[in-house]
Amino acid sequence: MSELQENKMAKWGMVIDLDKCVGCQACVVSCKEENNVPHGSPEEQRSRREIYWHKMIAVTSGKYPHVRTEVIPMPCMHCDHAPCVTVCPAKATYRREDGIIVQDFSRCIGCKYCMVACPYGARSFNYKAQAEKVYHRQDEPPDRKSWGPWPFPMRTQGVVEKCTFCFHRIDQGLKEGKKIGTEVVPACVEACPSHARVFGDLNDPQSPVAQLLAFRGSFRLREELATQPKVIYLSR
Amino acid sequence: MERNYSTIEGTSSGYRILVALLGLMVAVFIVSFLVAYIKGQQVWGVNNIIPWGQLITFYIFFIGLSAGAIIISSLSYVFKKEIYEPIGRMAVFMGILLMVGAMCFVMVDLGRPEKAWRLFMYFYLNNMTSLFAINSIFYSGYITLMLVYLWLIFEGKKRLAAIIGTVDVLWAIAVHMGTGAIFGLIGNREIYFSPIKPFEFLTAALTSGTSLIILTAVVTFKLTRRDIQDELIFSLGRLLTGIILVLLTMVFVDKLTHLYFPNREAAVYLFTGDYWWIFWFFQIGMGIVLPLILLIHPRAKKTLRGVVCASASVVIGVFGERAALVIPGTAHPQPFFPGKMEGPWGEPGIFPITPWETLLSLSIVSFVALLFVLGLRYLEILPARTGEPLPAEAAWKVQQGSSVSEDF
Repeated sequence: MSELQENKMAKWGMVIDLDKCVGCQACVVSCKEENNVPHGSPEEQRSRREIYWHKMIAVTSGKYPHVRTEVIPMPCMHCDHAPCVTVCPAKATYRREDGIIVQDFSRCIGCKYCMVACPYGARSFNYKAQAEKVYHRQDEPPDRKSWGPWPFPMRTQGVVEKCTFCFHRIDQGLKEGKKIGTEVVPACVEACPSHARVFGDLNDPQSPVAQLLAFRGSFRLREELATQPKVIYLSR
Repeated sequence: MERNYSTIEGTSSGYRILVALLGLMVAVFIVSFLVAYIKGQQVWGVNNIIPWGQLITFYIFFIGLSAGAIIISSLSYVFKKEIYEPIGRMAVFMGILLMVGAMCFVMVDLGRPEKAWRLFMYFYLNNMTSLFAINSIFYSGYITLMLVYLWLIFEGKKRLAAIIGTVDVLWAIAVHMGTGAIFGLIGNREIYFSPIKPFEFLTAALTSGTSLIILTAVVTFKLTRRDIQDELIFSLGRLLTGIILVLLTMVFVDKLTHLYFPNREAAVYLFTGDYWWIFWFFQIGMGIVLPLILLIHPRAKKTLRGVVCASASVVIGVFGERAALVIPGTAHPQPFFPGKMEGPWGEPGIFPITPWETLLSLSIVSFVALLFVLGLRYLEILPARTGEPLPAEAAWKVQQGSSVSEDF
């Protein structure tokens, strides 16, 4: 693929402004809703078996009274050089042309090598067959017709799963000719009340993502591993 | 020197009880596998923080034992050391069975075991940058080579067996170093990441393989009332001393590299964290210190009991070494962001020992033991007892005037 063609291809990325983030965890909840990720029971949470496509960590530094807590939302980083893609024996996890790392449940053999190799803990294993209904909620589950052409709405026991950057929304939006990044965004971006998250094409210098990156100091998580994540943080 | 091999009669009540017990454990194997398959891996101790548990520990342990056994068998069939001949066939046979066991372990550990065939059938069509895919080619070649090797030995084709044996030993080295590379190349887990890991695995394989052969040889020969030369065991013991010293060096260098520079958090967690006892008590204590004392002690090393105790300790210790890699390696939380991570994401993972996982592990071990015990009954693995009548085929050969010495 020549340089020109590569530039034409979108490279989806996300910018998270930690200065705007209020730590409400709406992104975590909306991700669970959008992708039908089950809420784990308290027992599952204790035994660390709950499935998270998007998690949130809190990091403190300093000593009382000068303590600083940073809340860091962590979806899958969709690394350009993704270790999970390197180690997957079955080609079940692969990099799409637009840079999104996806997981094919029908190919996954469940060896969990990708979970060991992921530097961001972005992957979860299905430790049991999940029912169709939403867990531990009294209200009705969302209408399945509104979910979009998400190819694997059902959970499969014994495979690894992870965040997809809501590629079903992006693909649908592109088909309908909508502008990705403004009209169509992943669920976590849509849910963010403080507009801390911006989604767009990293290859397009006019996109809001690229403009933010041009003006603000930014960093990525665990840069020393050179995985080149496409989720980029603006520091506080 | 001509040497005859024979099957065991398998008529004693002890043998029958043993087979019945091990057969019962095979039933347990099937049940515990089905439970995990139907209910999901939630019945095991594995979780999203520690995705590999007991079964992967046993898997690398068994691959090591198998590689070690094949390398020891080369002493008699490649290097033609006559003293090791009585255990030669047993070593190759054990190599095959332990590899079968290792494959059982890795397959039941998969989330979708029914798709395991893809790894072994697609060959290079799998993702060739994945160590699992590369190893699956190594493993299938290894099992084939071992079967050919054993067949050639049974047929008495000494020269061909030596050639295939040489290839097999090199292949076994590749197999086990490849298994070490599964862990050694993972750059984000500090405890795994080490260029020396494949070599450490190979050395650990040799120590545990040699020890298991000493142990099995003494136990089977005593139980089937065969003579065992003490010198054979003692020389294996001397070999074991040397390899343990190499292993000690490897472990020391590996841990020193992890401990020296200030980013030593993971190494400190391994030494002092929740699983310190696996490292200090099993890996260092039982795997290295205790056997070294027994094998260097001037009196203990001259007694069968001393060497056997040292071997048993090494087998358990090397299992501890595998566990001290697999479990703390992933239990240590990854530093997503500089600073102290609060809440569950900053806490080390906990790996509970659960009944179904333990039963599954033990029943696969029993399954391998059952295959071994049945193998002794139906294949000519063990050397014939002194004064025992020749087996029918050999006697027929004598009658025909051909030499028995072809049979080695």
